[in-house]
Amino acid sequence: MPRTAVAAALAACAIAVPALAQNSALDLFTRRDKGHCIACHQLPAGAGPETRADLGPKLEGARMRELGKPELRNAINDPMVANPETVMPPYGRHRVLEPAEIERLVEFLHALP
Amino acid sequence: MHCRSAAFVAAALFSAASFAAPDAVKGEIAARLKAQAPGIAAAEYVNGAAAFDTELRARVDENAAAGAASVEAGKKLWNAKFADGKSLGSCFPNGGRRVAASYPLYDPRLKRVVTLEMAVNQCRRAHKETFWEATDPATMGAALAYVRSLSNGVKVAVRVPAAAEDRFEQGRRLYFTRMGQRNFACASCHVQGAGKRYTDTPLSPAIGQATHWPVIRDDAPVTLQARMRECLELMGAAPFAAGSDELNHLEYFLTYLSNGLPLKANAWRPRSP
Repeated sequence: MPRTAVAAALAACAIAVPALAQNSALDLFTRRDKGHCIACHQLPAGAGPETRADLGPKLEGARMRELGKPELRNAINDPMVANPETVMPPYGRHRVLEPAEIERLVEFLHALP
Repeated sequence: MHCRSAAFVAAALFSAASFAAPDAVKGEIAARLKAQAPGIAAAEYVNGAAAFDTELRARVDENAAAGAASVEAGKKLWNAKFADGKSLGSCFPNGGRRVAASYPLYDPRLKRVVTLEMAVNQCRRAHKETFWEATDPATMGAALAYVRSLSNGVKVAVRVPAAAEDRFEQGRRLYFTRMGQRNFACASCHVQGAGKRYTDTPLSPAIGQATHWPVIRDDAPVTLQARMRECLELMGAAPFAAGSDELNHLEYFLTYLSNGLPLKANAWRPRSP
């Protein structure tokens, strides 16, 4: 295959695969031994597995960007600081997730549609 | 009720450092569940998660006979003769009929909360038989499936005498205490989150939770304390041993909350997702 055709095919793939699917934080979002956020939160259509979970609010990209990365980071690290009554786990404070994993989740949430 | 006194009652019931009478605790939890899900009648709480999900309710109803084999196996164990010629049935009034609804009970002689599993093992010990492991499906689970089925329809009637109020309080505290790496309390899901969906399935309400044990999952009976241990593991906490004072007090508290609701043993449950 000519080099230009390969490049075109790769470019097409890059467009076809949603940016979120390339973000490996989806596994942190779904794995039981990691965030397992999917147990409580729904994602926008196409951003991950569809569920009816509603123990926590549905995660919409616009709302995530409104909160901003620092607040998202704080919420994942220890949500009880902002809301002592929350049932969301303190992923950073209790070392469920490493700081680098929290950063990946922040990027993932901030980029949601 | 004035806001100040309402806040005081809430603080008294839901903080770990206070004490409230059992009926007040139950009343406050009932009011909270009702406020969160006004469309669900309290009588529906015996259906657990299925009270909030008609599709799940239909599957539970379709599988109503799922416990038949366990009940049959338990009946054989219940009536099997010990070496001295007695049987488990001989240790309980009416051979065990209509007794399950009053367990756990406080034994003033032992000064301990006694669960039905403990009573079964006390009987076995009295007749020089070996103990059964409290959560073993093939022995204790099956025996419970049978003896609790003999109380189907009997209303839960757990008594908390003054001497046992501290045990009830210990169970209440444990239920409302955040534990483990995930920082959940039992109440996080079954009071605060009751009826909401976790991993796609509604969370059962605290009231009614103790009425349908053992449940039948994958054709095997799962006792209440076995399920509590699974929950603790999901919470990222080291589970208390079945038969420990911690789980016995938790069961005592939880079963008291179901007082007045009918027992419905051997409810089918799907495998956890």
